[in-house]
Amino acid sequence: MGQQIANGVFLGSIYALFALGYTLVFGVLDILNLAHQAVFMLCAYLALFLVLHLHLPMFAAFPVAVGAGGLLGLGIERVAFRPLRGRADSNVSGLISSIALATVLEALALQLFGPDVERFPFGIVPDRSLRVGGAVISELQVVIVAIALSMLLALTWLLRRTALGRRIRAVAESPKAARVLGVNVDRVIASSFFLSSALGGAAGVLFGLAFNSVSPDMGRAVELKGLAVIILGGMGSMPGAALAGFALGLVEVFTVAKLGSSYRDAVAFGVLFLVLVLRPRGLLGARALREA
Amino acid sequence: MSASDLWLTYQSTVAFVGLNGLLALSVYTTLSCGQLSLAQAGFMAVGAYASALLTLHTSAPFPVVLLAGALAPALLAVPLGLPVLRLHGVFLAIATIGFGEVVRIFFVNLEATNGALGLVAIPQRTSLPTIYLALLGALFVLWRIRGSRAGYALEAIRQDETAARTMGIDANAYKLSMLVLGAAFAGLAGALDAHFNFMVAPESYSFGRVVDMLVYAVVGGSAAFYGPVVGAAFLTLLPEILREVSGPLGLEPGPLRLFVNGLVLLLVVLFLPNGLVSLPRRLRRWRAERRGEAYAP
Amino acid sequence: MRPSLRIAAAVAGMAFAGCTRSPSPSPAASAVRIGAVFSLTGNAAAYGAQQKAAVQLAVDDVNKGNTLRGLTLELVLEDDGTNPQQGISVFDRLINANKVSAIIGPTLSTLAEAADPRAQAQKTPVVAVSNTKPNAITTIGDYIWRVSLTEAQVIPSALALAREKLGFKTAALLYGDDDAFTKAGFDVMKSALEKAGVKILGIQTFSTKDRDFDAQLTALKGLKPDILLVSALVEQAGSIAVQARQLGYTGPLMGGNGFNSTKFIQLAGPAAEGVLVGTAWNRASQEPVNQAFIAAMKARGTDPDQFAAQAYSGVLVIAEAIRQAGFKGGREDIREGLAKVKDLPTPLGRFSFLPNRDGDHLAAVQIVRGGKFEILQ
Repeated sequence: MGQQIANGVFLGSIYALFALGYTLVFGVLDILNLAHQAVFMLCAYLALFLVLHLHLPMFAAFPVAVGAGGLLGLGIERVAFRPLRGRADSNVSGLISSIALATVLEALALQLFGPDVERFPFGIVPDRSLRVGGAVISELQVVIVAIALSMLLALTWLLRRTALGRRIRAVAESPKAARVLGVNVDRVIASSFFLSSALGGAAGVLFGLAFNSVSPDMGRAVELKGLAVIILGGMGSMPGAALAGFALGLVEVFTVAKLGSSYRDAVAFGVLFLVLVLRPRGLLGARALREA
Repeated sequence: MSASDLWLTYQSTVAFVGLNGLLALSVYTTLSCGQLSLAQAGFMAVGAYASALLTLHTSAPFPVVLLAGALAPALLAVPLGLPVLRLHGVFLAIATIGFGEVVRIFFVNLEATNGALGLVAIPQRTSLPTIYLALLGALFVLWRIRGSRAGYALEAIRQDETAARTMGIDANAYKLSMLVLGAAFAGLAGALDAHFNFMVAPESYSFGRVVDMLVYAVVGGSAAFYGPVVGAAFLTLLPEILREVSGPLGLEPGPLRLFVNGLVLLLVVLFLPNGLVSLPRRLRRWRAERRGEAYAP
Repeated sequence: MRPSLRIAAAVAGMAFAGCTRSPSPSPAASAVRIGAVFSLTGNAAAYGAQQKAAVQLAVDDVNKGNTLRGLTLELVLEDDGTNPQQGISVFDRLINANKVSAIIGPTLSTLAEAADPRAQAQKTPVVAVSNTKPNAITTIGDYIWRVSLTEAQVIPSALALAREKLGFKTAALLYGDDDAFTKAGFDVMKSALEKAGVKILGIQTFSTKDRDFDAQLTALKGLKPDILLVSALVEQAGSIAVQARQLGYTGPLMGGNGFNSTKFIQLAGPAAEGVLVGTAWNRASQEPVNQAFIAAMKARGTDPDQFAAQAYSGVLVIAEAIRQAGFKGGREDIREGLAKVKDLPTPLGRFSFLPNRDGDHLAAVQIVRGGKFEILQ
């Protein structure tokens, strides 16, 4: 039982980290960036490359991969979202162009790396385990949860206490008003994408390490779960995404243990559906539903 | 190679063009009134399974089977649409994605249909004429709607739903009808597909499938009712042509197809938002502007 | 014409232009053209790569050996992308455009069930070299033949041998429920366990897209089984082994045919030690044809696995069929010849077909020791 809770917290921390990026962009721009999962995947590959071919230790490869994820996010914003900014249906067309970009990136990964599942080399992270209660928890798992939580806290601090954070919140409230007040909206949006994609990239590297697999399609499954998480937590709410991420991780693990894994995904989508129909603003979402 | 060999080799491609055209139209029906619904893979699955079960367990004639394939998801679309069509934009899209996935998972777990393995050994009752007859039928229906008062109402809803409501248009009824129609198209395509490929399996009806359908509709263009079919034809044939190119370039055909699909979609969304069918008009305008003339479409 | 209809016409014209480019002409009179369809991309690519290398070697060997009275084998290789629709298209093309006399493959049973019916309908023999789903594949029709042993042929004897050595009384099962092969493997494992009187303590499932098996493994470990049986494709087999050991499961682990790949050892690393796998290929066999095969594959840079051995044997079987048909290589000739193949020396052992066109030869059990597969004697 304790082991399953540990499993759930562990899985949930990765979902939470992934969803944070999603919800940040949505909170600021009312846009769903479906290329997020491509960043997730590519950063995992980058970290793998750095470790395998440049022989960097993991604690160096991780920040490099995360930073690269941020840069990739800047690129995504520039290519798929900025040109559509003025248009009336920019939410939906942005969604579609991000799907297109994600497809292109996945194709590149397939071409460059092949379709096989890769794994990080053995011994890249220490192999020790702890026994807590009846549960076996590996050091790696503890580190991953710790990183996820500290990134969440860092993000919250950034948004509440820094000038950039204030500007981001201003643009999220109303881009027009923010512009009038002298905020460089373009730069704020770019910064949000940078942060969001950096988080997504971090989630990708951690996922690859946690489950010993990196493959071009690893983003697909998480992408849809990520949607469920941000809907459950409330679009645009950071703490909501974190809470919902952990909640989903725990619920999934217990569903598998009690009902069998066939229903694992059904739980996520069932929840998503119910939330949208009954309480669209999610658990903690403060904003009312926007018109398209 | 003789003409008949050419035919046998490419008949499945031609069939897929027709089927994909029908699927693209199913996404288009809701796009035409401004709703992005991504549940069509789920509808397609329902149609496929319903028709396959009928064929395998009864001796129903094929037209009846096809009708069932179209009706089953259409009926399902009603309880789905009523709560969900209140949502807008991205939220509607996500809700419908969720629905599609729930349907897929339902079939994965349904022991009666062999779960994830699906149904096999379905006799091949679909022929090329049947597919294209269905496609033409769907086009005909959409053409009639276009020219009628319903067509104007749909366009009004697409442009500005609130304004349309104030003009007295029952937006909810129209949106639901389009969802149901789209579900019927998707279900029909699913039934035809099941009886062409000998098998039905849940993995064919994943989120990736509905993304493909969306790509066909967007690339072809939702400005004209036949736009999605053009998009489907273009994107179904492209991989076949690319297959010949990819070898010499040292590229894998799989990734190349994905890459081109994504790239084409991206370029269309960014630069040709009304799709391929708007290309001639755009070119004419561009040419007219270059010559310094005023352009009247 | 409405301007946008012109676009439609242009697209159609482009398509037609694409079609009329002519494909390969008919094979030369002294060549027998064989199509090979494997998963070179997609989920089953690890197996497909081995199969591709093996058939290329086999065709070269047969042609060099010149035992077909002047006839040579010509190979046309295609990728099914682990995608049923693509598999069907590729089969159509091989049968009608390339006019092959027979097809080897496809890699997965799921794809075979989709594509083989087309070959059967168009009277082209198919030799399955890696489809292991029992009571299927060859049931599609009399043009479909199978070299690979089904799970129903390998697993029971492998399990019996393992039980002799390890003496287990209880078991837990984990399998992928959305793939024809892994599900079939599970069905066989379950019935073999029941027949042997082993108590099944628990069963868990996963999907081929899953990467995280902690929940299932924790649940099964908690039941304290004597042995854990897993039916999975290689990509997940590695992760399952690693995660099982990480969670502290120290008991024996036995896998189905999906584990039968060096990729499994590569992915699982130290966790692969001691894992048992039933196999259709006894790599330790000293038969000359087997040793020569292993040496030749290694010389070409591939350490062969069971999939390679089966694919190689598939080509040998087709060559023998041509011989038995009086050195004729048409589709009907090959089909008739296949029925006459008996005790053919192959890397798999002496091979014959059963009356239902399934393969027949002896199976074995492997254990991973020191990072390599060894035969459990």
